[in-house]
Amino acid sequence: MNLEIKNLSHIYMPGTAFSTVAIKNINLTIHSGEFIGLIGHSGSGKSTLIQHLNGLLKGTEGEILIDGKNIFADKGMLKELRFKVGLVFQYPEAQLFEETVYADIAFGPKNMGLSDDEIDKRVKEAISLSGVKEELLDKSPFDLSGGQKRRVAIAGVLAMKPEILILDEPTAGLDPKGRRSILNSIKNLHKKTGMTVILVSHSMEDIANNVERIVVMNQGTVVMDGTVDEIFSNSNYLSGIGLGIPAVTKVFSKLSEAGYAVPKNIYTVESAVEIIKKLLEKEVNNDQ
Amino acid sequence: MISDITLGQFYPVDSFIHKLDAEIKIILTLLFMVAIFFVQGYIGFTIIFIYILITVKASKIPFLFLIKGIKPILFFIVFTVILNMFMTDGEKAFTFIIWDVTYEGIFASVFMALRIIFLVIGSSLLTYTTSPIMLTDGIEKLLKPFVKIGVPAYELAMMMSIALRFIPTLIEETDKIIKAQKARGSDFETGGLIKRGKAIIPILVPLFVSAFRRADELAMAMEARCYNGGVSRTRLRESRPGVYDVYAVIIFALFMSLSIAIGYTNYEFKGF
Repeated sequence: MNLEIKNLSHIYMPGTAFSTVAIKNINLTIHSGEFIGLIGHSGSGKSTLIQHLNGLLKGTEGEILIDGKNIFADKGMLKELRFKVGLVFQYPEAQLFEETVYADIAFGPKNMGLSDDEIDKRVKEAISLSGVKEELLDKSPFDLSGGQKRRVAIAGVLAMKPEILILDEPTAGLDPKGRRSILNSIKNLHKKTGMTVILVSHSMEDIANNVERIVVMNQGTVVMDGTVDEIFSNSNYLSGIGLGIPAVTKVFSKLSEAGYAVPKNIYTVESAVEIIKKLLEKEVNNDQ
Repeated sequence: MISDITLGQFYPVDSFIHKLDAEIKIILTLLFMVAIFFVQGYIGFTIIFIYILITVKASKIPFLFLIKGIKPILFFIVFTVILNMFMTDGEKAFTFIIWDVTYEGIFASVFMALRIIFLVIGSSLLTYTTSPIMLTDGIEKLLKPFVKIGVPAYELAMMMSIALRFIPTLIEETDKIIKAQKARGSDFETGGLIKRGKAIIPILVPLFVSAFRRADELAMAMEARCYNGGVSRTRLRESRPGVYDVYAVIIFALFMSLSIAIGYTNYEFKGF
């Protein structure tokens, strides 16, 4: 399923004193199976943009096409779309309402009109993908910890088996362990199912470690769109618009400035450790 | 969309009405509400209408914005109109199925509808042009004389300001929860009364949870800054009535006395 955004603009409360332009003239194509990172500082229009992708918001101008068809063409299609494009909001645990974790995850599939057997299958699948333990299913979602609630909320969207999964800052407010394990779950999910994933994040590390393509937004427009290497080679521009590059990448660009022969496109601590180890061994050998 | 709800919001522009002292504005609004019920006859209502037009113009608030505020109480207005139309005795105008409609009834219902609309516009003008903080200050000042007889003026004012402050926040929150449930396929637009009623549960439960959490957090934050009620608290900004307020009071008094007086002197016009 390809998603195409054409000349999309959105103005909140047009014609009043509260009128604000949230996004303007956005053109993007999202191909099936891509893992995209959407970055930009607060208020750059990321959240507004993603709410257009499943028809929660309608652009003031422009259109969204799914496989060439406008999503607002007919009402039945819009409902279908909500199931095909799964949207996990920021702090998604705020949407939990059911008496048990199971019922809450089953809410989406139930709205799809699936049979009880199919719903049960999907709930089980969703919890294994998002890492919710089976014994939690009968508990109240309000009794869980923050990280568990987050997983349950994500599972609630996964249970609809969307073709495109959009996550708005899924790790915001979690501790490092929670962050890592949620991101790993998402990465595995992408690998296992080939689902298109759009990850909105403030953390350059999270983005660099996971995605294949990065879209950068600033003041409501898309300012950069490319591979991880392409985007993070523009560190000056990124810091100019309130973003940055991963800390390890910064270290390596300093090393390279200092005259060491190291690659600049290092984004993970693991690969950084490897390279620095080799570098040290070489120095030791040279000294001898 | 839910964020289109305009009732009770502050509309931040700079105008004559915005500059007025909150205390004066509250008193004038209360007097206006009372005055509307003394106004009789179409001339009186025309004068009130002109007064509202002038005030809205002076407040720089788009008229459409105010009209939108009436939408939520439309049902109430229609209900009142119907009730007045059929329940007033007098000269028979026509018969609707089996109920008699009188001329008096028609006039009474039209005037009642106008009264409600004016009431809503007049009072929403107050909240549109007065920031919640100023509004609360105004209420507190008005209630101050009653502290001696046990009216908890500070507490009432603080409660008011917290409530007002959280209206937009809760609207935003509701909007977010609605969207999140819509993203999971919730359907609020189709189906019968029971189905729609049930569709509200996924919104209400999270909303209550978050409202309680917010209340808890706010209470903690206030305690952490040693809030101890109104006793001996002073203000950062003291607002005092100025020359504008004198103008406003004079204009208001002229319009109101004119519209009320006309209704009582020209009885032959009444109702026609």
